[in-house]
Amino acid sequence: MNSYKEIQSGSKPFKRAYVALMLWFVGRAIEAAARVDGVVKAEFDGLAPGFTFSLGVMPQGPTMIVGKDAQGLVKYRGWNTEGQKIDLKMKVKNLEGAILMFTFQESTALATARNRLIVDGEVPAACAIVRVLDIVEVYLLPKLIAKLAVKRYPDWSFGEKVRNRIRIYAGAVLGL
Amino acid sequence: MDLPGYYEYHCSVKVIAGHDALEKIPGILQDLHACRPMIVTDKGVAGAGLVDIVLGAVKDQLVIGAVADDVPPDSDLRVVNRLAALYREKGCDALIAVGGGSVMDTAKGINIVVSEGADDLMKFSGAGALKRPLKPLVAIPTTAGTGSEVTLVAVVKDHERHLKMAFVSYFLLPDVSILDSRMTLSLPAAITAATGMDAMTHAVEAYYGLSKNPLSDATALAAIRLISGNLVKATRNPSDREARLAMANAAALAGMAFSNSMVGMVHTLGHATGSVCGVPHGVCMAILLPYGLEYNRHKREAIMGELFFPMGGSDVFARTPKEQRTDRVIAYVRQMNQDLHDASGGRHARYFKEVSDREGKPAVPRERLPDIARTALGDGSIFYNPEELDYDDFLMVLEAAWEGVALDSGRIRE
Repeated sequence: MNSYKEIQSGSKPFKRAYVALMLWFVGRAIEAAARVDGVVKAEFDGLAPGFTFSLGVMPQGPTMIVGKDAQGLVKYRGWNTEGQKIDLKMKVKNLEGAILMFTFQESTALATARNRLIVDGEVPAACAIVRVLDIVEVYLLPKLIAKLAVKRYPDWSFGEKVRNRIRIYAGAVLGL
Repeated sequence: MDLPGYYEYHCSVKVIAGHDALEKIPGILQDLHACRPMIVTDKGVAGAGLVDIVLGAVKDQLVIGAVADDVPPDSDLRVVNRLAALYREKGCDALIAVGGGSVMDTAKGINIVVSEGADDLMKFSGAGALKRPLKPLVAIPTTAGTGSEVTLVAVVKDHERHLKMAFVSYFLLPDVSILDSRMTLSLPAAITAATGMDAMTHAVEAYYGLSKNPLSDATALAAIRLISGNLVKATRNPSDREARLAMANAAALAGMAFSNSMVGMVHTLGHATGSVCGVPHGVCMAILLPYGLEYNRHKREAIMGELFFPMGGSDVFARTPKEQRTDRVIAYVRQMNQDLHDASGGRHARYFKEVSDREGKPAVPRERLPDIARTALGDGSIFYNPEELDYDDFLMVLEAAWEGVALDSGRIRE
């Protein structure tokens, strides 16, 4: 009788760790940006009370969760989706797609156009979150790289951008 | 040619086209192992005698289980569930959708409920809810524009909860689409013009959008060539069977293109205008298409220039210097709207200012433009547009489209 070898898929620990780190950082940066940037705050204000979304990689993560609390404050809620009511789930179909996105070889728009993302939830909320992600990316990344990640680089004043960038980095890294 | 690093294309619909294509229905259903279909249609289509034409084409060869002709202009969840119950009660085993977008969407909704043995369509919303093939569905479009006869989407409204649910699955693609010139011969000139420009917009936005790919490009270019040669003809002379058949083919080709390449800001603004002011989709498309081209041209100049080949023909294309081709494309679309306006006795609107409702009042009051711009921010089609748009950009485009003037290129942020 033939023996058929079972092949396990690779776990790609380094790529997974990189994406997990990026999601952690972006999640905390969104929380900070919602305090610092008026447009990000307005986007979240427009979403339903208690609105929560996740951004993750299929099939097993990593994932990050961000949501509004009872006072309307935006909070990073970690990676564990269990027991959390999530209104909008944005999932990259596989780890390689996530690597393309988080190494900024592909913009969010291009990743969507190439069918790498699944959106489960209300489309208007997904539109708002994509706009938030774009703004946060512009704050976190040098202009040269951010221009690859967004369709149009915003024409903010230099002073405003630097001030907000310092506060968002302080919030994301140090939790200030 | 711009070859994307990655793309996906899927169209499994068998297309049967001709002046007497309807006669093939009994054989088609036999191949699909079905013998008792339910016809889904609306009062307008039935009143125009189109269902009688279908029945005449299949007489003596097929038992029709039921004719449900009460699909409302907007697909409705309760109607879907009710007609699914009728399908079961009459022992049907296939669906034939005869109509426009709402009828197609309703038939797709019924198909989900009856194939899954459920009683409520709501249980199947969300990505990946459908896991297996559905009952046979034959689509017979009675307008040449929406392309829903070859698309994988069904939009059904829950009027009680004011929700619009989109169902997306490859299993929603009809098994067969029948394009028969008899189905559009009675379409009034203004609707012919508007739905034809809807097809044109599907093809053009698919061609310059972010998801463009070589296969959708091929269908988009073929659609544009057919529309350029036949839409004004069909509007001017509704009984021109050749032009009608050409437009039916064009709409299906454009449907194949946009369901694989998606659409952009013209649809974003069109959906929002339809939602806020109730303007028919095709009318919005016709008015907004030149603005989609103008707004995105700095990102897609060379690609847009290529569209002049199927629009103007090979000789004119070859004579036109490269740097002038996009200008000619934009001018061509505007001239087409003007020709359709003339051919329809002034009923085809060229800008929002001249769109009126059934009582003759302005359908798009200028003061509603900010509401439309805000609504557009929540439409998913914007993901596929080459350039970014925020509230101010949407409003700028809407104001120009309301007035009927070209966009001021100096105000387009790059």
